Amino acid sequence: MAQNQRPASILDTLGEEIVRIITPVSICMLMVVILVSILSLDDSSSSSAMPTIATIAYSETGSDSSWDKFMGALLNSLVFVAVVTAVTFILVLLFYLRCTKFLKIYLGFSAFVVLKFSFPIDCVTFLVILYNFAVVGVLAVFISKMAILVTQAYLVVIGMLVAYWFTLLPEWTTWVLLVAMALYDLAAVLLPVGPLRLLVELAISRDEDIPALVYEARPVAHHDSGSRDGVVRRRVWSERRNVLHDSGGDVNSNAILSGNAGSNLNSGVVLSVASGHNDTRLAGAEEGRVVEANAELSAPLIDRRMNDNMHRQEEDDTSENLLLEGIGLGSTGAIKLGLGDFIFYSVLVGRAAMYDFMTVYACYLAIVAGLGVTLMLLAFYQKALPALPVSIMLGVLFYLLTRLLLEVFVVQCSMNLVMF
Amino acid sequence: MTVAAGIGYALIALGPSLSLFVAVISKKPFLILTVLSSTLLWLISLIVLSGIWRAFLPLKSTTWWPFALLIISSVGFQEGLRVLFWKVYKRLEDTLDAFADRVGKPRLFLTDKMQIALAGGLGHGVAHAVFFCLSLLTPAFGPATFYVDRCPQMPFFLISAIIALAFVTIHTFSMVIAFNGYAEGNTTDQYFVPVVHLVAGMVVKSAFARCFCLLSQKFSLLRILFLIVLKNCQLSPETALVVFVWLNVLCHACSF
Repeated sequence: MAQNQRPASILDTLGEEIVRIITPVSICMLMVVILVSILSLDDSSSSSAMPTIATIAYSETGSDSSWDKFMGALLNSLVFVAVVTAVTFILVLLFYLRCTKFLKIYLGFSAFVVLKFSFPIDCVTFLVILYNFAVVGVLAVFISKMAILVTQAYLVVIGMLVAYWFTLLPEWTTWVLLVAMALYDLAAVLLPVGPLRLLVELAISRDEDIPALVYEARPVAHHDSGSRDGVVRRRVWSERRNVLHDSGGDVNSNAILSGNAGSNLNSGVVLSVASGHNDTRLAGAEEGRVVEANAELSAPLIDRRMNDNMHRQEEDDTSENLLLEGIGLGSTGAIKLGLGDFIFYSVLVGRAAMYDFMTVYACYLAIVAGLGVTLMLLAFYQKALPALPVSIMLGVLFYLLTRLLLEVFVVQCSMNLVMF
Repeated sequence: MTVAAGIGYALIALGPSLSLFVAVISKKPFLILTVLSSTLLWLISLIVLSGIWRAFLPLKSTTWWPFALLIISSVGFQEGLRVLFWKVYKRLEDTLDAFADRVGKPRLFLTDKMQIALAGGLGHGVAHAVFFCLSLLTPAFGPATFYVDRCPQMPFFLISAIIALAFVTIHTFSMVIAFNGYAEGNTTDQYFVPVVHLVAGMVVKSAFARCFCLLSQKFSLLRILFLIVLKNCQLSPETALVVFVWLNVLCHACSF
């Protein structure tokens, strides 16, 4: 066809990172929706929830008045957020005292618990299979040398299971909890005293990884990278503190929820961009070079390859700066999204699925839009940002609008065969 | 009626758009983002419309003019949205061209621009199909089916699926024609799109004729639209042939 002879236009590769984050989020949400719609019983009777941390203050029954439900849900969420804050502070303390081993072991344990106990089926072969599955999952999460696809798949599965567990909570509690978590996330990441911000700054100053369950999108490989299929480009923040060499700091936190115990929670949902630290195949290369921003704002630096000769890294001018206003995609480098974001997005969509599919579509679009907005803000502000607030707020708003306004309208129009 | 029937209805409404998505759109991430954002825009316009009209629902089905008013206002609103979409697209095009210059790649080709328009139209079409057909399809997975008074010959789900299919096509190609018209200043094309949209809406509503007549009218309209699209842009021959043959089959099936 004629297209084969044309040089590749920018449309071919633009926006690839965003799509690489949106895809696993969508898959997770889709699986939760399927699970919920297959396994859902009538929710008014299934509010015999197991006593969990989230319903400790108030167990909703179908017969309470709306106001009671709302107050009860508020109480529940406050307790939940308080527990989350306390545990996050403990996490910060442990990280500060360099007890990273302990944290890793704890992470592995919680992943193991989630993967193992969520299927209440008692059959010997199944148990063996499950056990294997869980162990591989723990290893995948633990050891970063595994094939990235396996790790990604396991993270999505963990997110899905935990999200499904959350959808078993009573309705009002779930919604108020989502909003409370969004607000908490906003506070924890942006306030100077917030635990997540402390965690992030500690990690940057020490140039370490935070031990956390984080989904990392595969780094974008350039088309003509031929032999190499790892990270080719890197992105370095040319902030004032990155003077000589800086891998840009890995700023990632997460929310780990140990399903059944429900009692310990490390939470924090941070969206960040990091330079591709994981692929250390670029052996001889430096971690990144920084050129002081010339005249422009702090703009990301990109090392890219020329199309004709296979140079590895170049000192580049701030060529992608234009993207900051227009598209905000920035360049490459892996985008990391905490697992808590996956979980709470899927909880929202799962809850919407318990009402009707129209709300599912509306909430899905709202969440993806919020994620896009957050990514753009990320490219603009270039520091760790909370990924929950925008999406959750948009999701809740669209849910309410759809449920109250849209559904009646569409049903009425369709019944009378009025379509446009 | 059964799970199979439900899936069948869903595929009738969304089959072609799915193949279009897989063949053209999924290869370029930017187009995927365009589809998502135009779907979102259409949803927002629908929510605004429902907010405005909520107070007047449910409409009495005996008189026809409230429905006409509804259609005219909705189509007008959506066409206004299309103009807005065009303006945003112009700014985006400038940004993209500037970026291409900086990065040292060629500017947007004509096919690129048309693909963006196609993606935008597909977003609108998919949104229509999803909200007017798929979201009402949940009862179709059960053991029974549902008929409406206006058209007792076919189950309601089949009607909505076929009409959704037609509207997907209309929305998708209208966007391409409209963008082309705006770009070249071709007023015929510019006015053609809203007129077709309005006529389509009205044709569906005026269910005086039997269901089958209605549907075959709809599809003849589609054929005209498609021929105009073929004249204007250059789809790959395989795509064009497939869609055209399939459209013809449906036309004949509906007008026996």
